[in-house]
Amino acid sequence: MNRRKFLSILGSAGVVSALSTAREAKAGGTHSFPYYEGSYGVLHDTTRCIGCRQCEAACNQVNNLPKPQKSFDDLSVCATRRRTSAREWTVVNKYVVHGKPVFRKLQCFHCNDPACAAACFAKCFQKQPDGSVAYDGTQCVGCRYCMIACPFYMPGFQYDDAFDPLVMKCTFCAPRMKEGKLPGCIEACPMDALTFGKRSDLIKVARSRMRKSPGKYVDYIYGEWDAGGTAWITLAPASGTATAASANPAHDLHPLDLDTHLGNRPIGELTYGALGAVPMIVAFWPVLFGGAYAISKRRDAIHEAEKEAVAREVKNDISYVVNTAANKVAETHGPAAADTVRQAASDALKVCERPLRS
Amino acid sequence: MRNGTTLLLLAAVAMLSAACLTTREALAAPAQEVVDYNVSPTRIIFPVGEKPNSAGVGMRPTVFNHLVHEKKIDNCLSCHHTGETKACTTCHTMEGKAEGNFITLTKAMHTPVVAKRPKGEPTPQSCVSCHQQQLAQRECAGCHSIVSVAHATRKTSYCAPCHNMTPSITKAQMQQGSAGVLPDKDKVALAAETMSAQKSVSHLTPEDGPYKVYIGEIADKFESNLFAHRRHVESIMEKLKDNKLAQAFHTQPETLCATCHHNAPLSATPPKCGSCHKSTIDPNQPERTSLKAAYHLQCMSCHRAMQVARPIDTSCVTCHKPRAPQRTD
Repeated sequence: MNRRKFLSILGSAGVVSALSTAREAKAGGTHSFPYYEGSYGVLHDTTRCIGCRQCEAACNQVNNLPKPQKSFDDLSVCATRRRTSAREWTVVNKYVVHGKPVFRKLQCFHCNDPACAAACFAKCFQKQPDGSVAYDGTQCVGCRYCMIACPFYMPGFQYDDAFDPLVMKCTFCAPRMKEGKLPGCIEACPMDALTFGKRSDLIKVARSRMRKSPGKYVDYIYGEWDAGGTAWITLAPASGTATAASANPAHDLHPLDLDTHLGNRPIGELTYGALGAVPMIVAFWPVLFGGAYAISKRRDAIHEAEKEAVAREVKNDISYVVNTAANKVAETHGPAAADTVRQAASDALKVCERPLRS
Repeated sequence: MRNGTTLLLLAAVAMLSAACLTTREALAAPAQEVVDYNVSPTRIIFPVGEKPNSAGVGMRPTVFNHLVHEKKIDNCLSCHHTGETKACTTCHTMEGKAEGNFITLTKAMHTPVVAKRPKGEPTPQSCVSCHQQQLAQRECAGCHSIVSVAHATRKTSYCAPCHNMTPSITKAQMQQGSAGVLPDKDKVALAAETMSAQKSVSHLTPEDGPYKVYIGEIADKFESNLFAHRRHVESIMEKLKDNKLAQAFHTQPETLCATCHHNAPLSATPPKCGSCHKSTIDPNQPERTSLKAAYHLQCMSCHRAMQVARPIDTSCVTCHKPRAPQRTD
């Protein structure tokens, strides 16, 4: 393989890789993770939630999580704004909205296009066809990028495990769903504040609830589009007059810690282009720079060889000249004179050998 | 007791003053009852329009009991928002007129929420907006936080209580009415006929239902619940006894039952809750709640709306007896 051939191969490989990176980035514009049509979701109707913490207790039980210090019968803990952690995959918080208590259950929202999966370079997170965002810790390196990427601050980390700490979050009870059972929290809810069903149906259910009870809900299904859409969607109670509610739904959602500023595109879209190129770089750069290195090495070697050949030729020429001259001297002045000439020539050559050689 | 006399005296004084206050109120009350605005007690609201109604058809006219309504309202401006005591149809016609700001009669009567007028101007009421506001009263709020009147607007049974003109009205009368030229004596005759044809509904009585109901199909952590059916019905009916609005709009004998016994045809023997609501949710019918949630949602929504304070939502034992010793935690 000569240099030209190598360079042409390298060039075409570069074009192909650039194209494929571009295609990947473009695919991110619609759905870079497959969108599952019949996937399941949950509608959390906060107007129904009474803050009984049955869902927390059920979650703790079905997932064999460590028992908390305060029992689940103690409802006063709802008043503090708790976050999910490795020990509590779901928490119910109490928010006081316009003087009335509203309870909201927090857990992984199971995004349609999860930011945690986009951030994870070990490919631990995957959106499943059943709607859940599954975490597989076998490859997890514990970088916790997923926790930073999550717009809902949901994943928890086993800080107290020194040897193999994992990220822990709601699994949507995927193992139970495979057995045909409902997720633990949904089964436990005594108010059906959590409605389980196909996500597409739940959007319709949410709309029909709004239609049937005008003025009861904020005209906003949280999670329908937020962060590119989530499998768990939330309805919030409207406050005040109908006109005030329709003006800006954020007024009623922000007191519930529901962030309406996440945009309607997946968070991961911001990074798919750049992160999609990383594997290409990893595969391609060693070849590129290795090749460049090899080319320059080879060029040096050739150069060296050429120089040596020239030097040899010059040496041959000189010895031929000296020999011819010496033979001539031997014929006229005898062999002793020829030896003197040879000696003189070799002495003279020794002086200029260095410049000749290098 | 040393202070016995003082206490007795104090009690007597208190009772006397209370008696004074009540008698004064009782004496003052009838004075307000005298209402004489020189209006005939009933009016007929025709679908008045500019277009000639040669066929004599249109929405069935409403016999409007002016007396009953004016007694309920403190301020005539609620309806007569211009300050003049003109008929609604003077400005609001079927097509809309410039005087009525092109607000049609249909809209003026039915709009559920009237936009607030700028300061100083009275915000008018439509029939529907005013009636809906009444549902916020405690005795109405229980059922009507569950059964939304607005949701029922598509059903024809919703129109019938108001659009109640007797079917014996002739096409000629209808034509004249739409043009606004029906003679007064015809109006009186029609109104009289309509009113006399109206029968008060004999609602089912609490005794028609069961005395108590055992709810125990899903008893698990708790004993089965003994629901005092008759007491609940009695309490609701007692509260609505003198409510004319409720009497006018609860048109069927079983209307009151339909808040809880919903979605099934009205009947004195409605199907059991469990015939539709199952103990586990079917993911293909997400809106159909589980049986447990169905009970809780109905009970709690009504109690919350009626401000029945006692059973706190999260206090299970107020309604359910724990199933004796086998509590885990």
